[in-house]
Amino acid sequence: MQDLYKKLKKQFSLGELTEQRDDLAFITIEKDKLRPLLTHLRDVEGYSHLVLLTAVDWLEEGIFQLTYLISNRTAAKDIGLRVMISRDKATMESIHDIWPTAATYQRELREMFGIDFPDSPRVNDDFILEGWNNIPPYRRDFDTLKYSTENFAQRPGRETKDPAEHMKQQLYPDGAE
Amino acid sequence: MAYQPDRSQYPQPGSDGKLDIDLKSGKYLKLWQGPQHPGITGNMSVELTVCGDEVVEGITHVGYLHRGFEKLMERRTFIQCFPIVCRICVPEPDFNEYCYAAAVEELAGIEIPQQAKWIRALILEMGRINSYLMYVGGQAGSFGMGVIGQWTTYVRDLMLDRFEELTGARIYHMFILPGGVRDSLPEGFAQRMEGTLCEIEKTMQDVYDAMYCNAVYKKRSVGVGVIDLDLMDSYGVTGPNARAAGVAKDVRKDQPYLVYSELEFEAILGVDSDIYTRSDVRRRDLLQSVDLVRQILVKMPKEGSIMTKLPNVLHWKIPRGETYIRGECSRGEYGYYLVTDGSAYPRRVNVRGPSYTHAMSLLERMIVNLNIADVAGLMVSLHTYPPEIER
Amino acid sequence: MSIKDLFSPFTAWKYVLKDPVTIPDPLNDRPGSARYRGFHKNDNETCIGCGTCETICQNGAIDMLPVNEAETKEGDSGLRPRIDYGRCCWCALCVDVCMTGSLTMSNEYKWVESDPDAFRFTPGIDKKFWDNTELGYQRPDDHRLMAPERIAMGEMEAEDRINSFTEIVDGYSIEQAKLEADRCVSCGICIATCPTHMSIPDYIEAVRDGDYERGLKLLYETNPFSNVCGRVCTRKCEDSCASRHEGEPIAIRWLKRHIIDQVPFEKYREIIGESEPSTGKKIAIIGAGPAGLTTAFDLVRKGHDVTVYEAKAAAGGMTRYGIPEYRLPYDALDKDIELIVSLGVKIVYNTRIGADISMQKLQDDFDAVLLAIGLQEGRQTRIPQSEHEKVYRAVDLLDKITAGENFDLPHCAVVIGGGNVAMDIARSLARLQKQQYGQVDVIVTAMEEQQHFMADPDEIKESLEEGIVIRDQCGPQGCEIDQSGKLIGLKTWKVLSIFDKDHRFSPQYDDSDEVIHACDTVIEAIGQFSDTSLLGNKLTEQLEWDRGRIKIAYDGQTSVDWLWSAGDCVSGPDVVHAVADGHRVANSIHSYLTV
Repeated sequence: MQDLYKKLKKQFSLGELTEQRDDLAFITIEKDKLRPLLTHLRDVEGYSHLVLLTAVDWLEEGIFQLTYLISNRTAAKDIGLRVMISRDKATMESIHDIWPTAATYQRELREMFGIDFPDSPRVNDDFILEGWNNIPPYRRDFDTLKYSTENFAQRPGRETKDPAEHMKQQLYPDGAE
Repeated sequence: MAYQPDRSQYPQPGSDGKLDIDLKSGKYLKLWQGPQHPGITGNMSVELTVCGDEVVEGITHVGYLHRGFEKLMERRTFIQCFPIVCRICVPEPDFNEYCYAAAVEELAGIEIPQQAKWIRALILEMGRINSYLMYVGGQAGSFGMGVIGQWTTYVRDLMLDRFEELTGARIYHMFILPGGVRDSLPEGFAQRMEGTLCEIEKTMQDVYDAMYCNAVYKKRSVGVGVIDLDLMDSYGVTGPNARAAGVAKDVRKDQPYLVYSELEFEAILGVDSDIYTRSDVRRRDLLQSVDLVRQILVKMPKEGSIMTKLPNVLHWKIPRGETYIRGECSRGEYGYYLVTDGSAYPRRVNVRGPSYTHAMSLLERMIVNLNIADVAGLMVSLHTYPPEIER
Repeated sequence: MSIKDLFSPFTAWKYVLKDPVTIPDPLNDRPGSARYRGFHKNDNETCIGCGTCETICQNGAIDMLPVNEAETKEGDSGLRPRIDYGRCCWCALCVDVCMTGSLTMSNEYKWVESDPDAFRFTPGIDKKFWDNTELGYQRPDDHRLMAPERIAMGEMEAEDRINSFTEIVDGYSIEQAKLEADRCVSCGICIATCPTHMSIPDYIEAVRDGDYERGLKLLYETNPFSNVCGRVCTRKCEDSCASRHEGEPIAIRWLKRHIIDQVPFEKYREIIGESEPSTGKKIAIIGAGPAGLTTAFDLVRKGHDVTVYEAKAAAGGMTRYGIPEYRLPYDALDKDIELIVSLGVKIVYNTRIGADISMQKLQDDFDAVLLAIGLQEGRQTRIPQSEHEKVYRAVDLLDKITAGENFDLPHCAVVIGGGNVAMDIARSLARLQKQQYGQVDVIVTAMEEQQHFMADPDEIKESLEEGIVIRDQCGPQGCEIDQSGKLIGLKTWKVLSIFDKDHRFSPQYDDSDEVIHACDTVIEAIGQFSDTSLLGNKLTEQLEWDRGRIKIAYDGQTSVDWLWSAGDCVSGPDVVHAVADGHRVANSIHSYLTV
């Protein structure tokens, strides 16, 4: 993977390399460097299989990480390209023309993370959620527990006690022994 | 036999990718196949636009069993995620357990005992057999041969008995957890497994006679639903769907995990890439898994530790990192992309199920020009399990 | 397609002749497998209500609730898990994590009720038809989620430590401490057992997080003698630890010490914070031991003016003059005391109340007085010839050793007693013997069987390693003296039983099994008592007494309203108990003075 990285580095400006395993490495790249690199890797280096495309929400840092995991099936090696984009009005270039199947991933990311992929086919169609009226639910600031507490009735009759607190009340309510 | 859907006689898609169909013209009809339909695999639906009995367009709809597992895991500790991952795939839940556990182990820097690897491989092959048995019944049923499903359900049930005695549960085994597996094989397991395997082989011979050597089945499945070689990469086709076209890709061979490098087997291949070939590749793969289970039971050590000592799971934190773990499940490449941030909770878990690509964009492309009656057969032949699409 | 394909499908007809494969009566003929994860069982006797099952349950299916069948007591919260089968997914993590092994699963999987709430039940308490089922999931031997063994504490080898009074244990390294702290499940059952109710799970969490300043702050909220307790606490908390049931308890004491070791002493004051503004009230405390100084610590932080009178030349009481240096180095004790003094507590040394200053004067000069004089006097066996000059009390000798006074070091000593004081004097003498004579010759005799000694098991183990001889079940009958009047041994009879059936002290001996333990010195270590002569006749008469001890209310106040008492002299010997007393008394005095 080091060799490939060095080779690629001559042609492309690459960010940090993380060699996770002998057959899996992650490379950080800039948003506008993705398309030429993906095309190169697919057509020249044999990374022709798009394994997955997904996002990671680094809420605290205000960025989304898009991970394009591509695989060279012959060499049995994988590269994950990390593209960091701003969470604010998150937009990314579509790659459905490189891999038609990417359109599905992009549609899901649009719905679940609110990341737009202009020109991706049917990107604004509902994918899984219908009639969703909240922020995109896979964003870290969407609180599932809060949402379910507010929207669904809880079955009555549940209560619980903390062992230490209960023992205090029973054995030494005044605080001292 | 290159497959090219012929759209010439139907409207062309507009710039937004949608067909301009005038339903009022009386020429076209909208038809929903699913979500409640015997010809659909699981809870999803295909919105068909037909002209006569020919499909002009098919749009897949999912979301009927979205439970948000990936999100739910973000508020569960690493050990707490383990009981829920299996629910992402009902017929073959163990791949979720394996991929999740392996991803956590890799990021936490844990090596599991050899014996646990053998037992994991055993369980994954048992699960593959079960998944295929369910598939065979479904594929037969989609072409009107309901009785095959009854036979395979019976032998699948016998395998569930083996699962039950090994793991303590029949469907969601919750047996492969980060660090190893829960228990060793029970006394006399190998013998009872041999009985089950013989029964499966016998039944599969009957299935072969009644289904695979059946003029009606052949008539309807040979040459239908061909996936062209060009589509393999552009649509991310993996597993038997790819192998039926002669693409020799099997993760067990290419990137051997667990103990697969110590087992003797071949990637089962086909040539014609049609529904029949795919079903036959799966049948042969099933029988190969029967052999693999036998090999595992012979080759695995008789005893050994099955669990690594974990840090206290109640406050187990894993350093920041990311990884992808894949395995060859009955439907193709199954994978878990796990991102950790140093806390006690996963930052992100992304499940890559093969149905995600097979049953969405690929199906939509292949469904055009098919007869309505063949839609179910095509869907089943792609071996679709909807929960892994929407997780 | 071949001609075969037309006929082959007809082979399916053979199934017409086959017997059905379905089970005719599955409700009865199909039990779950031997390790099936079916309905829960819980052994109420073994369960301690630690709630770890609730913590690990990812479905939120478990509630911890009090039940009539379990009493809240030390080591048992009295709560029991109630499981909501509307949420349970039978993953059995609760069984895997159960700290006592009480929670298991039966192989039963059929249960029909018309009332949905019936499926929310407390296993082991609500009787169920599967309660006696033997089969079902139990945690396999090789499958432990919790590490049973504690991280070993490094300590000096016996041959190295016997030469000196250097502290024996090394203390944990940061790595070791994190590993040990990681074992804690944070159930908090230990808190009730600790006399001063330290927030144990919280400070252990601070160790895990490496946040030692937070840890120190937590320690000082409840215990100003954390240096001392981190080393010599009787650590009853560890007896209540949930990890004790299927492994070793968390080394709570060593983790406390680890926090202490990690924070530089200069930072203590800043971490502990400032005292409240002065109230102008004056309090006198008699005795600068843990009870007195804890009271002083609390009261001075509340803005009161505190003066402590100490008869000896240094503070610490028994922790200094009783506990040997190899267990509690003086500099550790000095830190605790220095901190308390730095807050503004005045300690007047070498001043004995009753002799140098009268109680009356204290009553006149102060708003409140605390008597915390400890147990300084050793009890005597009063066996024949025990008034010989070579028969000592252990506390007197320990006192001399600390003070550096000279005494006739025995060549061969016999200690009477099986408690910690007996071990302390035996091991101290052994060290001195090694230094001066080059060899150890100390025998410890006690009435109990060795496994029932009052002493800490570690003390016994280490004593034996250091070459001390322990002879158990030996009841002392008299000292042997030769014609020249020289002490030559201790005569004991074998003890058959110590208590009668009403648990009263009534030893029975086998007088045919007599042993003379040859020695030149006998040391009695059978307990201590308090010398209350300082009170003077008038006050002694004024006070109410309870079996030789001053009678006190729950908050430490005596029957005389300006006088409180706390610590060993009223509660018996135990450092952390004295600290707890100190807090309680301080609260009482504070409210007495501020109301």
